Amino acid sequence: MLLQILVNALALGASYALLALGFVLILNATSAVNFTHGDMVMAAGYVAIALFSIVPVPGALLLPLVMVAMAVLGFVFSWFAYFPLKNRPPVSVFISTIALGIVFQNSANAIYGAEPRKGPPLLSEGLFEVAGITIGKQALGIVVVAIVLILAQHLLLNRTGIGRKLRATAQDRQMAEAIGIRVNRMIALTFALGAALAGAAGLMLSNTFFVTPTDGTNYIIKAYIAVTIGGWGSLTGAVCGALIIALFEVLFPSLPLLIPPLEAIAPWLFTQTASTILLYLGLLAIMFFRPQGLFGERVQRRV
Amino acid sequence: MNAALNWSISGVRPLLILGGVLLAAWPMLMSSAYELRIFTIVGIYALLALGYQFIFGHSGALALTQGSFFGVGAYVTAVLSVKFALGGELTVLLSMALPIALAALIAAPVLRLESHYFALATLGVGQVLVLVAVAWQELTGGANGLSGIPGLTLFGFEVKKGYAIMAAVWACVAAGAFLSWRITRGLYGAALHISRENPIAALSVGIDTAKLRYAMFLLSAMFAGLAGALYAHTIRVVSPEALEFPIMVACLTITVVGGRTHIAGAILGAILIVNLPEWFRAMDKYYLIAYGVTLLAMIIAAPYGLIGLLEQWRAKLWPEAPRRMPKAVPLLSLRATGPAFGPLLEIRDVHKRFGGLRALNGITLTVARGEIFGLIGPNGSGKTTLLNVITGIYRADSGSVSLDGAAIHALPSFAIAQSGIARTFQNINLVDEMSVLDNVAVARYGLENAGLGQTVAAGWSDPAWQRARSQAMSLLDALGVQSVAQSAAGTLAHGLKRKVEVARALALEPKLLLLDEPAAGLNETEQVDLADRLRSFARSGLAILVIEHNMPFLMPLAERMACLDHGDLIAVGAPADIRVDPLVVEAYLGLPEKTSA
Repeated sequence: MLLQILVNALALGASYALLALGFVLILNATSAVNFTHGDMVMAAGYVAIALFSIVPVPGALLLPLVMVAMAVLGFVFSWFAYFPLKNRPPVSVFISTIALGIVFQNSANAIYGAEPRKGPPLLSEGLFEVAGITIGKQALGIVVVAIVLILAQHLLLNRTGIGRKLRATAQDRQMAEAIGIRVNRMIALTFALGAALAGAAGLMLSNTFFVTPTDGTNYIIKAYIAVTIGGWGSLTGAVCGALIIALFEVLFPSLPLLIPPLEAIAPWLFTQTASTILLYLGLLAIMFFRPQGLFGERVQRRV
Repeated sequence: MNAALNWSISGVRPLLILGGVLLAAWPMLMSSAYELRIFTIVGIYALLALGYQFIFGHSGALALTQGSFFGVGAYVTAVLSVKFALGGELTVLLSMALPIALAALIAAPVLRLESHYFALATLGVGQVLVLVAVAWQELTGGANGLSGIPGLTLFGFEVKKGYAIMAAVWACVAAGAFLSWRITRGLYGAALHISRENPIAALSVGIDTAKLRYAMFLLSAMFAGLAGALYAHTIRVVSPEALEFPIMVACLTITVVGGRTHIAGAILGAILIVNLPEWFRAMDKYYLIAYGVTLLAMIIAAPYGLIGLLEQWRAKLWPEAPRRMPKAVPLLSLRATGPAFGPLLEIRDVHKRFGGLRALNGITLTVARGEIFGLIGPNGSGKTTLLNVITGIYRADSGSVSLDGAAIHALPSFAIAQSGIARTFQNINLVDEMSVLDNVAVARYGLENAGLGQTVAAGWSDPAWQRARSQAMSLLDALGVQSVAQSAAGTLAHGLKRKVEVARALALEPKLLLLDEPAAGLNETEQVDLADRLRSFARSGLAILVIEHNMPFLMPLAERMACLDHGDLIAVGAPADIRVDPLVVEAYLGLPEKTSA
């Protein structure tokens, strides 16, 4: 029982990690929050559903297609949301991405309607049984795919020439420009990469949690909490933060299953709603007491 | 009367006054109850946006709670009037009070956060409220909400549907607009402006930027609560939708489209955004997409909104004659100086580390009344860090700083400025689009005891602001820059900007003036001129601490000097002695190369 819950938590955490990673990559490259990032997850869910209706193969095979489609979307997106505003305060980009979020949501609503739709499974639905322990195939698949993608992302950033250019751009744009890096191209690429990662998350979440046009707000908050917990701008922190959130979200409501007496004490506490509220309150507490995040280092502003 | 006439013909006001008249006439042409209802809702959104301008426009903080405060106001009215049958005189007040209380509560963890954090934290708060409203079924009716809300009753009189409720809503809009005008003009308005555009500069002239932001946040909550209460009485049903993000987005769009800081912008934006679905009815479910596109287009093309655009056009096509400058009025008195004995500024054993870097390492220094004290040292030796510790921008790790015998190192930055330490900055910190005169006048904020109550109570024109501007004029005279008083500060040449910063610092009537590389970027004539003026200020009792690399400027000016190197104080004394001090020479030139055989 516990193991099954843990695998589910890990699968959710892995999806959140992909989402949060994309969010941080864009944040670091532009120092702006991409509020549409959650809506990209939603959009990817619909892309997966659309592709599945044309080519009914397992999600794992659709994954590269979804990621490419989302990368193209992310690239185009940056020309509307970011580049016209790159010399303005970061808050302008926040607002422009809120605007594009509205466009995303309502386009999805116009095309697919408000009812939840189910996305394709990665392999197939059902359960594995290994040594008397049953584990969901979908959950296990998500964990494997996410680990592969996170490793690939890590290798891309740290072991390739283009990765070095991307990191240089994120670290110090002026300096990168001065040594001849095509900074705008790198930033557009970062948007593409971030959207592709959100795309992977979108495909994987669409089967278990379905897709509705208004999902974005919830996902962007998750990404944001993950990044806040992990330390603003830290890639490793974002992954850790995502895992912590998912663990809490899955584990907390199922505590009474594991420890039956809890059910009798406070049935209202161990609900999805209460756990979400607790998560947000925890976030506020972290921002109040440790604004640099659980793992981050404190930064001093310069005058 | 003359002032009122001048006011009404300046800027784009003739157009706005005409617009106001048309707006007032509009409802008389309305034939159906439906049209009246839409117009009532326009008023409600205008009120919501007027409130949002306080925190988003005037404070510059992207709060995403305005929709939530609106929803809370609506729920308070719904619950109290449906379940407890309370009258409007009470429910409306409580609908404002609860959002204010909520704002006060969340301000502590949220309000000091940087912009992204702030925006997303406020979004999180909003999500919690939606969840609570859905989960707390006995009180809120859960996902279905509460229906059967009665119309607004005030002291037993019912405000009827149609014209009556519309008039009541627009009366609230008028009152809100009046309050907003009172709050955002004059000295308080200028303080809001500098706090938004350059918080470091605002702190350095003694403005408590956190307090201003707090006040703006509570005001925005109050307006949102009132709008929510009126909404509940107009729509007669309240469901979790009232708390959800689309309301916030509508409010943001109204404010961005109309103009973030223009009262007329809130009203114009509300007219456009509320009517957009009506006008684009043919687009059916696609109109919300148009909505997003509109918001995007506006933020890219017209960041100051439609009213801002009108102002730009007016300035370009039909420039106004320059206004009369205020008459220069000298400052009444230098402030009473404390005990005449002992040093003015006393720095004792101050340490400051940044991670592994020891920026200041046990600095002990004193500056006497009326003394000009020079602080030198190579780049990165800790000079500016010391200035930032004195002014409270950094906290020292240990050690003490006192002014006139009173410890100041634990005070917040703005309080240190108010206690009598003014400064200029190495990289100039003026508000570019504000006039030179206003940049200086705003520094009178503390000494004029300006504040929210003061500005609301003041009459047609804020007398504190008039005085501040007159006195600023005399300071510009004293620095010889009165001729540029009306230019925007951003358009000035570098040397002039430095002088404006000195004038602004002097407007605080400081006991001690800290200058960070004041001669940098000045030509020789300007340097001589500045040195002369500084000497004359010192003669009248002002102590001046100057950081400078330019020795020809500093040597003849300073009476005493100190040299920092890698965070250590390596020499203090008369300029002539410092110049030949072997440690100082070594710090600047490095160790003489040892010639090896």
